Amino acid sequence: MHLSSEEFVDAAEGTRPEASLPHLAECDRCRRELADLRRTMAVAVDADVPEPSPLFWEGLSACIGERIDAESGGSWWQAWIRPRMLVPLSAAALLVLIVALAPQSRNARVTAPVVPAPAAAVEPSTDGGDLATDPLLTLVSDLSANLDLDSVSAAGFADPDSAEHAVTHMNTDELTALKQLLQAEMTRSGA
Amino acid sequence: MDSSLTWTQPGPWPMATIDVPLDGADERALVEACLAGRREAFDLIVERHRRTVYQLCYRFVANHEDASDLTQDVFVRAYRGLRNFRGQSSLGTWLYRIGVNVCLNRVSARALPTEPIADRQFIDPAGDTGSDRLLREERQARVRAAIAQLPRKQRATLILRMYREMSHQEIADALGSSVGAVKANIFHALGNLRKLLGSEGL
Repeated sequence: MHLSSEEFVDAAEGTRPEASLPHLAECDRCRRELADLRRTMAVAVDADVPEPSPLFWEGLSACIGERIDAESGGSWWQAWIRPRMLVPLSAAALLVLIVALAPQSRNARVTAPVVPAPAAAVEPSTDGGDLATDPLLTLVSDLSANLDLDSVSAAGFADPDSAEHAVTHMNTDELTALKQLLQAEMTRSGA
Repeated sequence: MDSSLTWTQPGPWPMATIDVPLDGADERALVEACLAGRREAFDLIVERHRRTVYQLCYRFVANHEDASDLTQDVFVRAYRGLRNFRGQSSLGTWLYRIGVNVCLNRVSARALPTEPIADRQFIDPAGDTGSDRLLREERQARVRAAIAQLPRKQRATLILRMYREMSHQEIADALGSSVGAVKANIFHALGNLRKLLGSEGL
């Protein structure tokens, strides 16, 4: 029986002595195959990769740096709306809403915040913004029921790199976009 | 480039402030510096490993342009995944694995354009001239082009074994196969290489 591919490779690489393969001594075909394998290996090992110009390396490093800069700096907003960011983002936004609405909740009547329309699950207020009929504000009210004042105060001192800090420093357009995203997400999840 | 830095260790280690000169920093220090937001640390990683990664990619595609593009992809992917580097292997081995994956994913089974010898403007490290050098370059170019035409798994296996000298087990781990499959791939790769090169190529 001729040598297997594993036996050929072991013998060609020298990890298995030929003496342990008695078939080799009596089979010209396997001996030729083994010799060819060794010759091909020697030719392959000898094929060096040509050295590029020294200028190439600096250019390569610069290209890599530019691509990394473009990725890390250019799309922070897209990174924020990835699903894994949406939960902490939603929590942070709710916290901001709670902080903003807390003083007003002491009054009998409040003016409802301007909420972009579209979400199917959120029915528009018919009485000009009553807390009791607005599901979004009801949710906020429920969540803030057990919130102590220290927690609310501490929320204003978030780490500069944190999601909370970013949310509290958004401009009007960004806040509007975030509200729309949150509403869509709440509608989708049936919240 | 700032040659030293101060940063707070990220991850599971105790919070501590460390002063380490970047130029002589070891791999772990460079990785930690990157994770702490120091881009210049990654520049150093690129500088240290770009030649090895480029050579790997070149062996897969046998032409400079594609090898250059693939090398960039490897480092960009490494930067994105740096948090996943646990230090269980060397950074070089980790980058090499990423390189193999990038090459396997990106390089299609079709024959790639290998560049004519006259188009290359490379430095001859040996510095010799004349017909011997030309003949050797020609033969090496033929071998590289033949390797680049091998089926992808055979190509990857041969490259990791011949040029990285990884053990059969390490190759099996890297490629998600078995030692037996690795040896079979080496056997068939060498057989196909012999056919592609012809009798005068050996």
